[in-house]
Amino acid sequence: MSRLEEILNLVQHVPPFPKVAQRVMELIENPAVTARQLAEVIQYDQAITANVLKICNASYFGLPRKVSSLGEALVLIGHDTLKDILVTSSSARFYGGNVAAGYHLEQGELWKHSVATAIMAKLLVRHVKGVDAGSAFTAGLLHDIGKRFLSSFVADDFKNIMQAVTQENIPFEEAEKRYLGATHAEVGALILKRWEFPVEMIMAVRQHHNPDALQQDPLTALIALSNALVVSMGIGTGADGLATRLQGGGIKRFGITQADLDLHMAALVGEMDRAQELLHLN
Amino acid sequence: MKIVVGISDMKVSSNPDDVLITYSLGSCIGLVVWDPVAKVGGMLHYMLPDSSLDRGRAEARPFMFADTGIPSLFKEAYKYGAIKSRMVVKAVGGSQVMDAAEVFNIGKRNYMILRQMLWKNKVMIAKEDIGGTVNRTISLQVGTGTTILKVSGRGEFEL
Repeated sequence: MSRLEEILNLVQHVPPFPKVAQRVMELIENPAVTARQLAEVIQYDQAITANVLKICNASYFGLPRKVSSLGEALVLIGHDTLKDILVTSSSARFYGGNVAAGYHLEQGELWKHSVATAIMAKLLVRHVKGVDAGSAFTAGLLHDIGKRFLSSFVADDFKNIMQAVTQENIPFEEAEKRYLGATHAEVGALILKRWEFPVEMIMAVRQHHNPDALQQDPLTALIALSNALVVSMGIGTGADGLATRLQGGGIKRFGITQADLDLHMAALVGEMDRAQELLHLN
Repeated sequence: MKIVVGISDMKVSSNPDDVLITYSLGSCIGLVVWDPVAKVGGMLHYMLPDSSLDRGRAEARPFMFADTGIPSLFKEAYKYGAIKSRMVVKAVGGSQVMDAAEVFNIGKRNYMILRQMLWKNKVMIAKEDIGGTVNRTISLQVGTGTTILKVSGRGEFEL
């Protein structure tokens, strides 16, 4: 089996994204849905129920008081927040353990990077017309999911990949493509496709290292920009470092200035403090 | 004891057994000072050049910005008995993602202001490892002044 075939074979065996999340998304499309109906679906998944409570009590989501039961939580939180919480909780399980060792990331760092990118995307979303905050958050959480599945392959070819990056000055992603036949962005997109996420989210994940991402559709641009800033801040940045290319001139299209970028980076530091509970879900 | 310096954080110590360490410097700068006589070491991990961006935030987190963080680092080291003329200063970080338009040149701006401020105050940089697209981790042994730098793709070595 070729390296690429091995990778594609692995993707075929990726466990499904928790059903509960999708089921709840469908339910809350109906504005008349009750907290009780939602609770019945969520309770079905014990891990998610436990996480929902933990996440509700994170200051990031700003609930007025601590909650101790799912019913109580569902009365207090709005549907948009519930969506974010379910996606966070469902995603967390894929980032547990030493999932990105091939990228020289310690345990928990890929998840931290993902949470930071999700929060940055939500901070930046006000500049980007045509993207809702929930999609921005979800795409941010999942943009690097491919790393989890490419990690061991990167480890096998680490020396070659790093040599190409340092000696030829090419983006890490290009070296992944050269030695493994696929990039973590492509693998991530395949996984999101299997999980039946919307097409614009699959695109955003696939293109998040494309140098021209800021010229592409709004969600793609938003995720590429959020990732570039979080990588620059060194949050969950591994051996790939800052070796990625992004044509920054594209921010003008959204009326974003360099000062805006600085302000959002400054804001993220505080937001990450408020999101501490989210970092310990897996 | 290992003392971790986070993003927008600063630590100073005169305990010879302490090791100050800051992880994952991308475009941020890790500034290390050490006085070989007083055996005082300090480390700052700042993220942005200029506190005029957001005065309120700079008051709450002075170590986030070069112009508020750098003076704080020196002043704190003086409190522990360090003297400017003896201090060994090292700087690492300031990387940036590849962008011809220089929109993401946070690293370069962070380094420029450091150079300006140290120049103005007649402080020399003894050692530095700046720029590129790499990710860096630096540690300082307070008792000996040894600084160990780890750079993605280049391994770990003494700076």
